[in-house]
Amino acid sequence: MAYMLEIQSANKCFGRGTVNEHTALENLNLSLEQGEFVTVLGSNGAGKSTLFNAICGNFLLDSGHIFLDGTDITFMPEYKRSLKIGRLFQDPMKGTAPSLTIEENLALAYSKQKKRSFSLALARKDRDFFRQELEQFGMDLENRMKTRVGLLSGGQRQVVTLLMSTLVPPKLLLLDEHTAALDPATAEKVMEITRQIVERFQITTMMITHNMKQALETGTRTIMLDSGGILLDMDREMRKDLTVERLLDMYSEKKKAEFCNDRILLA
Amino acid sequence: MTLLIGSLQLGLLYSVMVLGIYISFRILNIPDLTAEGSFTFGLAVSAVCTVSGHPFLGIPGAIVAGGLAGSFTGILQTRLRIHPVLTGILTMSGLYSINMLVLGGTPNLALIGKDTLFSLAVAAGAGMDKEVVRLALSLAAAGICTVLLALFFHTQLGLCIRATGDNPDMVRASSINVDRMKIISLAISNGLIALCGGLIAQYQSFADINSGVGILVVGLASVIIGEAIFGRRSVTIGLVSAIFGSVIYRYIIAAATRADWFPAYMLKLVSALIVTLALAIPAIRQMLEVQRIRRAGKGGN
Repeated sequence: MAYMLEIQSANKCFGRGTVNEHTALENLNLSLEQGEFVTVLGSNGAGKSTLFNAICGNFLLDSGHIFLDGTDITFMPEYKRSLKIGRLFQDPMKGTAPSLTIEENLALAYSKQKKRSFSLALARKDRDFFRQELEQFGMDLENRMKTRVGLLSGGQRQVVTLLMSTLVPPKLLLLDEHTAALDPATAEKVMEITRQIVERFQITTMMITHNMKQALETGTRTIMLDSGGILLDMDREMRKDLTVERLLDMYSEKKKAEFCNDRILLA
Repeated sequence: MTLLIGSLQLGLLYSVMVLGIYISFRILNIPDLTAEGSFTFGLAVSAVCTVSGHPFLGIPGAIVAGGLAGSFTGILQTRLRIHPVLTGILTMSGLYSINMLVLGGTPNLALIGKDTLFSLAVAAGAGMDKEVVRLALSLAAAGICTVLLALFFHTQLGLCIRATGDNPDMVRASSINVDRMKIISLAISNGLIALCGGLIAQYQSFADINSGVGILVVGLASVIIGEAIFGRRSVTIGLVSAIFGSVIYRYIIAAATRADWFPAYMLKLVSALIVTLALAIPAIRQMLEVQRIRRAGKGGN
């Protein structure tokens, strides 16, 4: 069985040999099947964003391998990986170009799979397609396609970004707390749209969140990271009757067990 | 009358350079000092071609020369990660030597008596007023460049370049090579600036090694004057406003030099002041606003 995403013993250490030496990923192994929707938990500095950065290619691993749909992407440059990987950030400003209009932003994302050429960026049929896609969100964005994105609210921008990264369905979608900067109602709306899109195209997805309840209710699997490794990995079956309290207990038990092991070692 | 038409000719010719500055300064968000070198590079190449009897070859020659200079700055910026302002300065200083080399080791070259685009056009348009023909040629140069650029910035590649200046992260996420986009746009920008140098050399039948000094400020002043009239809206309006800005700038200069009390050497200072003032307007406006709010708040108590 080939996995959609396979990470083999990934290691990354920043500032090696300096006082700021920090092990960000330690022997991390992770395999995702096609269509899996994994929510990622972990405290600050656990390595969640580092894991995403490694997958996207912001930096190269010290050791280990990353495979995407059977292709070794360990040494592929960032911009080439993004052909197959969609990513959303917490900051809604990050995913769109503010002085371009909505339709121009979408056109840019839509031209991903084509070789960029001197043909006009916006053909009539592209416009119709974008309008149709925007309509389904019910945010009235379809009537503002000539509005510059910089004039939209954070929630609206995040929806545009979401559509941009899935117009050409990616093999992997990475969501880095993409609703955290939005107000609760908008966050819920954006989350709902996310579920719709992921379901429709059966995109393999990873989503970082600090909301444990949301993590357990969304997707098909939950992993918890701690100091650069995977502490807990729960599939659909294991998550079924799990409550937030129980999850917290499991977390402290695991941590305690690790701590005891260390103490035995040192004693 | 001669002054009026002459300024219009110069304004239109220099607007080609202003378009180049507009691309680097407004679209790419980089103040690119390469302009000072690439302008003279184009001027020198075009002058040398004209002297050897190939005025037509001088124009594509100037564009290629500028394109190379821009690409070089782009590579320094992206592949070697040198600070954008410094890369322009480096290319510009290096080009000084190269420009001298192109001019054959002399600081200036006269094209008097040689066929230039302008003299050939005047000869071809027999019977028409000489200045009108020269004006038509200048207008054609500015018009063709503007139309081509306006079209280009609505192609897929053009869109990628506009987004690169806006949000490089997003461009990378759309699987576009940001480095390549920066290099391409700097090449286009400096190609235009050098083309302008090439045209000016043949227009004035004279090439001087120091022609490019202060050209960036002239370009910025023109861009800003244009924006003061048209505002900052779409990219097409931006390009058109650059043309108008350039022409108006020439008229301001012409008016200033006509005044007896105004020595010509003060021009650069005036240009620098125009740019400084224009760039400071947002900050000044904010200061005034803060003061207004403070005063209103005190009054309320």
